[in-house]
Amino acid sequence: MSTVEARAGAGLAAPAIVYFVLFWALPALAALYLSFTSYDLSGTPQWVGLDNYRQMVTSDEFWSSAWVTLLYTVFAVGPTIVIALVVAVPLAKPGRFRAWLRGLIFIPAVMPLVGATVLWQVIYSTGGLADTIAQAAGVGARPWLTDSDYAIWALLVMVIWKYVGLYVIIFVAGLQALPANVFEAAAIDGARTLRTFFLVTVPLLRRTFTFVIVVAVTGAMQSFVPAYLLTKGGPVNATQVLPLYLYNNAFSYSRFGYASAIAIVLLVVLLIFAFTQFTLVRSDEE
Amino acid sequence: MRIGRPLTAVALIGFVALMLLPLYSMIVLASAPDDGDLSGLGFHGFALFDNIGQIMTDGRFPRYLMNSVLIASAVSVLDVAISAAAGYALARLRFPGRAALLNLVVIALSLTPAVVMIPVFVMLSEIGWLNSYQGLIAPFAASALGVFLVRQFALGIPVQMLHAARVDGASELRIFLRIAVPLLRPALLTVLLLQFLAQWDNLIWPLIAASEQELWTLPLALSSFEGEHGIVYHLQTAAALISILPPLVLFSFLQRYYVSGLTLGGVKR
Repeated sequence: MSTVEARAGAGLAAPAIVYFVLFWALPALAALYLSFTSYDLSGTPQWVGLDNYRQMVTSDEFWSSAWVTLLYTVFAVGPTIVIALVVAVPLAKPGRFRAWLRGLIFIPAVMPLVGATVLWQVIYSTGGLADTIAQAAGVGARPWLTDSDYAIWALLVMVIWKYVGLYVIIFVAGLQALPANVFEAAAIDGARTLRTFFLVTVPLLRRTFTFVIVVAVTGAMQSFVPAYLLTKGGPVNATQVLPLYLYNNAFSYSRFGYASAIAIVLLVVLLIFAFTQFTLVRSDEE
Repeated sequence: MRIGRPLTAVALIGFVALMLLPLYSMIVLASAPDDGDLSGLGFHGFALFDNIGQIMTDGRFPRYLMNSVLIASAVSVLDVAISAAAGYALARLRFPGRAALLNLVVIALSLTPAVVMIPVFVMLSEIGWLNSYQGLIAPFAASALGVFLVRQFALGIPVQMLHAARVDGASELRIFLRIAVPLLRPALLTVLLLQFLAQWDNLIWPLIAASEQELWTLPLALSSFEGEHGIVYHLQTAAALISILPPLVLFSFLQRYYVSGLTLGGVKR
């Protein structure tokens, strides 16, 4: 390597290297360290070994939070992906009208999440849109956000509405990148629409599926804003997802050691998930 | 199959209408003169501009708006500058520290913000950067996704072009600024847009790092709108409407850059 090139490269890369060391690499190591300590920001962290992790696995609130996160992830990702794919197939065909519909469906996904969540606060308020629709359907008004039977489903409806358009667009991009001759061949063979969908389209979209599932699952597992704004994790922790549990422990109770342990557990679960998904796809493609 | 087509069209239009219903009700609610009807289905007078005027003249809302503009702009410009330099260097230059940078980017990509949040908070509180603009900007001054996106794009710059410039005696910095940056424009716009939108919508970091109201941003202001004004839904919705407009406008101009950033990796190229 020439010295001029080496110096230029190092110079261009230096700000990024400093940034990633200061704001990612060192903090990650610090988080691991803090997870073995008791620390409330005053004084210095006290080493407690595995106490935080031990406390976590014996805490009912942690397991309830893990369960809520699992429920939230499964019922946010599953319906979103199914709806997005079903909508994307007819929308992927060319045409100005379809392009227009795609743009409209995408609007909620472009809205800032905080603004959207504030809107849904009103939708779920007494006499709001949710009550109005429920009354018209003969179900009657409900305390959507303050009854533990409804709160998590209310959050999920909002989250699905917010993100389904994003996945429609990703599926459309995936569908449009598929070779047209495969579908022509299937049509010549006389394959029916549904058959083509399950036997040709879905397998060909494998790569898109993996991407979508990883993005959706990791996104859902880290979701904080809807639960924080709509329910504050209530009623009685019914919507306290792990990121909110972490936030409460750190910034409401100043338990920075315990909160760091939650963060480490969340990270490990996310990494295992992403790694498994990508390994599956790679072995599948070989 | 022929019979299926109109049905598909009707179902699609129905679905789109359902998706747009909350947005329609947002406009209705934001235009309401009071909180008399919260269903958001029918207009009872049109007070949208009165409501916006009231928000903009009453309380600190303009300040929060300016903070959001300032922080989101500063962060996205910094991210573009740092990511462009690093991404280009990774793709087209050999230098000591290249492997280290690549490893750092991979590490940052695989970490979740939740992990680094607490140590960064502790670090900033130690150096007195909580409740400061730099404390709200610095933690997002670059991004692994930005570096990665620029690097992928820069791999498409022909090496011969750079060599020719070197033979002509151009300095490396000049080659980067005059040849690489213009070619990288689409990737840079994608990074700019994604980071601006992310910061415009960032709630958790200001929530943690800015307890003083002078530094509050729009997401924080919206999240505690009730505290300042009592629960006034029509004003809160009008404020939310103000907060969603800039991203929608930006998006409508830069749509293709946004979609290309989103679908990166999802589609085999």
